[in-house]
Amino acid sequence: MGNSSLSRRRLLTSALATTALASPYVRARAAETVTPAGKMVVAWHTNIAARWLDPQQHDGTASPDNFLNALHDALIKNYRKELYDHRSLAERYEFAEDAKSATFWLRPGGKFHDGTPITPDDVKFTYEHYHGAWSEVLRTKTQGVEIVDDRTVRFHFKDPFLDFPILFGTGNVCGAGWVVPAKYYQQVGQDGFMQKPIGAGPYKLISQQPGIKLEFEAFEAYHNPVHIKQLTMVSVPEAATRLAMLERGEIDLMYFVPGELISRVKSNPKLMLAPVVSANWWLEFPGFQDPKNPFHDKRVRQAVSLAIDRDAMNQAECDGMGVVDGNWIDDDVEYGLKWPTWEHNIAKAKQLMAEAGYANGLNVDWVTPVPDYYSRGERIVSQLQAIGIRSKLQTLERGVFLKRMESGLKQWPGVQIILNAARIGGTWSNWYDTMFRCNGFQSKDFFCVKDIDDKFATYLSSDDVKQRKTLAEEIQRTILDEYYLVPVFRHAFVNAIGPRIAAKTWHDVFPTITTGYAYPWEDIQLKPTAG
Amino acid sequence: MARFIVRRCLYAVVTLFILSLTIFSVVRLTGDPVTLMAEPGAQEEDLARVRAEWGLDQPWPVQYVTFVKNIFTGEFGKSFNYEMPVSTLYFQRLPNSLELALAATLISFVVGIPAGIVSAVRVNTPWDNFGKIVALLGLSIPGFWLGLVMILVFSVWLGWLPTSGQGDWRNLVMPAVALGWYFAASLLRLTRSSMLEVMRSEYIKLARLKGLPGYVVVAVHAFKNALIPVLTLAGINLVIMLNAAVIIEVIFAWPGIGRLLFEGIFQRDFPLVQGVVMAAGIMVVAINLLIDILYAAIDPRIRLTR
Repeated sequence: MGNSSLSRRRLLTSALATTALASPYVRARAAETVTPAGKMVVAWHTNIAARWLDPQQHDGTASPDNFLNALHDALIKNYRKELYDHRSLAERYEFAEDAKSATFWLRPGGKFHDGTPITPDDVKFTYEHYHGAWSEVLRTKTQGVEIVDDRTVRFHFKDPFLDFPILFGTGNVCGAGWVVPAKYYQQVGQDGFMQKPIGAGPYKLISQQPGIKLEFEAFEAYHNPVHIKQLTMVSVPEAATRLAMLERGEIDLMYFVPGELISRVKSNPKLMLAPVVSANWWLEFPGFQDPKNPFHDKRVRQAVSLAIDRDAMNQAECDGMGVVDGNWIDDDVEYGLKWPTWEHNIAKAKQLMAEAGYANGLNVDWVTPVPDYYSRGERIVSQLQAIGIRSKLQTLERGVFLKRMESGLKQWPGVQIILNAARIGGTWSNWYDTMFRCNGFQSKDFFCVKDIDDKFATYLSSDDVKQRKTLAEEIQRTILDEYYLVPVFRHAFVNAIGPRIAAKTWHDVFPTITTGYAYPWEDIQLKPTAG
Repeated sequence: MARFIVRRCLYAVVTLFILSLTIFSVVRLTGDPVTLMAEPGAQEEDLARVRAEWGLDQPWPVQYVTFVKNIFTGEFGKSFNYEMPVSTLYFQRLPNSLELALAATLISFVVGIPAGIVSAVRVNTPWDNFGKIVALLGLSIPGFWLGLVMILVFSVWLGWLPTSGQGDWRNLVMPAVALGWYFAASLLRLTRSSMLEVMRSEYIKLARLKGLPGYVVVAVHAFKNALIPVLTLAGINLVIMLNAAVIIEVIFAWPGIGRLLFEGIFQRDFPLVQGVVMAAGIMVVAINLLIDILYAAIDPRIRLTR
């Protein structure tokens, strides 16, 4: 326990030291005189849901943060290489040593787009009325929100709540830290707020055509300089149309270039690809605990891993722009374990199959990939044939797939392989809890490995940082050593940047490692000639 | 006549009732919308909360009654995705769809009707064969393919027209052509067959025997009568273009009703899909009812035989 306190104190000290060191930089940036100019148009790849403009309704998905980061601002947030604790509306914050409280000091002079000051009352209202993803967890664990003075607000927890900063500060997981103007929100109500949202972010909303188009203008009172005057986000679901718009200069940034269009972008010297490494992909064997299931034998699971040609998959599916790594959990979350890449060795795989009693191979009823990445499933089917695993591809519509995943083993009878994928922010535990834990959101009764589920329960109840880290790594190591899940690769969410945007590399436009989207928006600049 | 109108109105009500039941059931067979609202990482409690918030935890009969009530209030329910009344969304998009549908109808008229007349008048000549090829291409080339090819040629390569979206008349050209092309082909076929039928009738032979010039026979006597089924089809086509130009509106990022429907289907937005389908259904049923009543008023034999 002593070690953990010391460790947490060290963490806190370093957070404060970083604040002190960063302050001159922040001041310098704020003092920098920038007059926003020009216009940037971004083509979004699905329709634009109005609820994404209201952080109070954060749905726990990765999409809202693209919009939240333009329109709203959070006390702390994921930003560039900082995972969750970039101080934005908060000038500084302290997380108590006993993890039972967190105190935030608001940046002086902070304003909403309507000119009203950001106060601790707004923070308190935002937190207490938040009803989006993770709200139940926050509510259950929070004792109260105390307004200490006109710039300070303190959250008190019933028990040590070590995951609070990560949940609170990760924009693609939870929206409780994204401050809304309390009086205005109460005055117009939730529906009214979605139609005319007011935030504290770098861009204020000027107009919206629901689902179609959002037009923003730079908020010059923002605490960081905003470079582009007008920002338009337009929904263009068809990828070929988005690319044609980019080629013609009708838009400046295109989200999601599908594989078949990547070469067209590459061959155009005016355009730049932005392959943001994103979701992780892995194979799972639902029901492998049943002794009658061939995947009950570790050697068969290992043989599957050896049969997968991950580099070929990356090359074929993402033009080689994804990453072949060793873990099924992204390494940009807390305690995500680095793991060496896996061997591709057909001879060894065949030998293991023979040792397990499957010298002549075996039949798998279905290989089911996450919709609608069916070609990835086809590659798995064909690669497994090399070691005698005969299978068929099952294509499911997305809603049906998700429903079946939620329903557990009864929906996956026989011998099944699922090619699953996810990008979950925050911490490794969100991955485990959702994808592997017995009765998890997508794991249900697929795996149920009691030993590591028990360890996970200990992890959740522990307030010892060192113990939690050890347990997190142990659990991940067990899953990988035992081939309970077989990692495949991390795919690239490929975007494209037009010629008017000032960028030496794509990282200049997509610097935030925890997202596939182009924030911080305020930092994006146009070339001087593009004005 | 009054009895006929009442009977037809009752048929219309029954049709709409069946439509409402069908669309209500079918959207629910497609799966749980809440699973699409949440991605991995969302908690079970979040899902339960969202289900309760939207009344999806209620039994189907209760949900159906709510749906019907919402039709009668004129709101058609509240969209899951936009959290706005479906009617508001529908009427926001309606002018855009109307603009596109009218332009496409105009194109289908300009291409389909003259080509159909020429095909019929010059039957079994190269003119007719050309008309048949145009009709075949129009009916067989998918609109989405034509749209993408036009974007590539006229926007990317030639740079003449904007790729997509709503703006001035130039934004309208490609989606209207892509949408109207199919309907032009169907109008061409119908105009041709209708004209052929009329041209073989006795009164046309009489007109020719009387020594009337060919263009007068075609334009004044034949075309006028051949036009009746063509206009009936054009009316129905307009309603279809207005409500179901899904692919074209998606390809050209046109903010119309078809795209709204696409968004609703994609997001399992039950109220939105139900509302758009019911609005289209009401429109089709109302137009058919009106046509039936007009037919009956013009031709008393219709109301006696039905």
